Amino acid sequence: MSAMERLVQEFSRLPGVGPKTAVRMVFHLLKRPPEEALRLARALEDLTRKIHPCRECGNFTEDELCSVCGDPSRDRGLLCVVEEAFDVGAIERAGRYRGVYHVLGGRLSPLDGIGPEQLGVERLLARVVGGGIREVILATNASVEGEATAVFLEGLLRPLGPRVTRLARGIPVGSDLEYVDGSTIAEALEGRREM
Amino acid sequence: MHLSRLEVRNFRNLAAQVLEFPPGGVALLGENAQGKSNLLEAIYYLETLRSFRGAREDHLVAFGKSFFRVEGEVQGEEGEGAVVAVAFDRALRKKRLTLGGREPQRLGDGLGTLGAVVFAPSDVGLVSDGPGVRRRFLDLVLSLNRPGYLQALQAYRQILGQRNAALRMTGGGASVEAWDSGLVRAGARVVLERFRWVERWGERYSRYFFRISGGEAGRIRYHSSFPLAGAVSEEEVAEGFSAALGGTRHREARLGSTLVGPHRDDLVLTVEEGERERELRDYGSGGQKRTAALALRLVEAATIREARQREPVVLLDDVFAELDAARSERVLALMEEEEAGQVILSAPKESDIRLRRHTLVRWRIRAGRVET
Repeated sequence: MSAMERLVQEFSRLPGVGPKTAVRMVFHLLKRPPEEALRLARALEDLTRKIHPCRECGNFTEDELCSVCGDPSRDRGLLCVVEEAFDVGAIERAGRYRGVYHVLGGRLSPLDGIGPEQLGVERLLARVVGGGIREVILATNASVEGEATAVFLEGLLRPLGPRVTRLARGIPVGSDLEYVDGSTIAEALEGRREM
Repeated sequence: MHLSRLEVRNFRNLAAQVLEFPPGGVALLGENAQGKSNLLEAIYYLETLRSFRGAREDHLVAFGKSFFRVEGEVQGEEGEGAVVAVAFDRALRKKRLTLGGREPQRLGDGLGTLGAVVFAPSDVGLVSDGPGVRRRFLDLVLSLNRPGYLQALQAYRQILGQRNAALRMTGGGASVEAWDSGLVRAGARVVLERFRWVERWGERYSRYFFRISGGEAGRIRYHSSFPLAGAVSEEEVAEGFSAALGGTRHREARLGSTLVGPHRDDLVLTVEEGERERELRDYGSGGQKRTAALALRLVEAATIREARQREPVVLLDDVFAELDAARSERVLALMEEEEAGQVILSAPKESDIRLRRHTLVRWRIRAGRVET
């Protein structure tokens, strides 16, 4: 396999990149000055060398603790469980959450061979048993897998004492009812609240 | 509503052509293997985005071509219309759907634009084949006519697959039960919709069966894998489902698959003979089976009429070829009464055109090309 083919193959492994895009990316790199490609190579190398999971929560960080866990002002009694590290970013951008996180690194999906062990559920339980956690917010996705993961975790967490909550589901903020799909409206009706 | 225009490219043996359909319909005449059924298949593809003959998409692409495309225009009485187009690329193995030139969010949003029902000789399989065929029939009718059904069904299938994998992975316990609430929720919705459909249309089915058979009492019943006991609400069905799941834990752990739920249900078709009620699948004659299949399709047409408040487009694929003379007379009379919309039928020769004989426009088809 030529160097070009190898790189095409590597690029097309990335999410959202098909073989055609991969070829375009490789040709783009070949047309640009070589420093650019080397910069990319160095960035990739740095990524693998410097970034690793946070010792506490599993979020990605360059340090021992991620920026959330390392922040003394965060509320350590409030734990938000998410599927992936990029979900931490999504919640952080909202700017309203003051607690800490736990990154599962996936969701239950037996069809892909992902069970409780693969998610390191023990690590989460150990954190809760460790004490001081008043509430666990299950913020896995609103997909059938995310939902099953939440149900599974709830069953393990509740006997340990903390309040266990699930993110609400419903109408996206700022959107017209007219354009919201039927199953979301059904969920929103079910989850309606007193005013 | 009627199909006013159809454009096909690289679909089976059909030549690339644009056809303008009259509102009343057409009779498509042609020898065997000239493309009659292929044309009906292309039309019905716009309704369900799949082949009514169960063919895979890459088999629908004309030999040596890389894609097919079907576009149809539907027109209402007041001139309001809709254009739906589907293309399939063999190399990318991707279907692309557009409605009025726009790609909808989900492929499922494009289902049922035409409002059509197809009658084909293979329909007898609805009665004589296994339960899976009847479940597929129910699922298709309900997906096309009941909002939310398709989503519930898709969620159910996905959860079922995960749950079965969890059963094989661990044999049971919390990691299997985590899927139960989702399974029960989606499953209860599916079961209740199917059950209600049978309740709503059972009597009508029996009436059609009586007419076509010339006086026999045929019945239809929804057979659930757990007791429904007159359950009327989603909560009650969910409760029954949940209890049944609980009762099969040991067995399902041993077998590695979920043993109760809508994926194990059936639509039971029977006929009264003397004092006894006999299942058509096992005991029905060829004529009785064909009668039941026709009655099911007529009920499907009635469902479309009620759900969408319009006359369905009726596609008849050489359907009377295997029916005895008396039965075909009776079903023709019934169709003349019931079906007021567009009829597109295929027949090998002029004398086989028995519906709307005096009004249908004749088209000939030869080697995939229609001569209007």
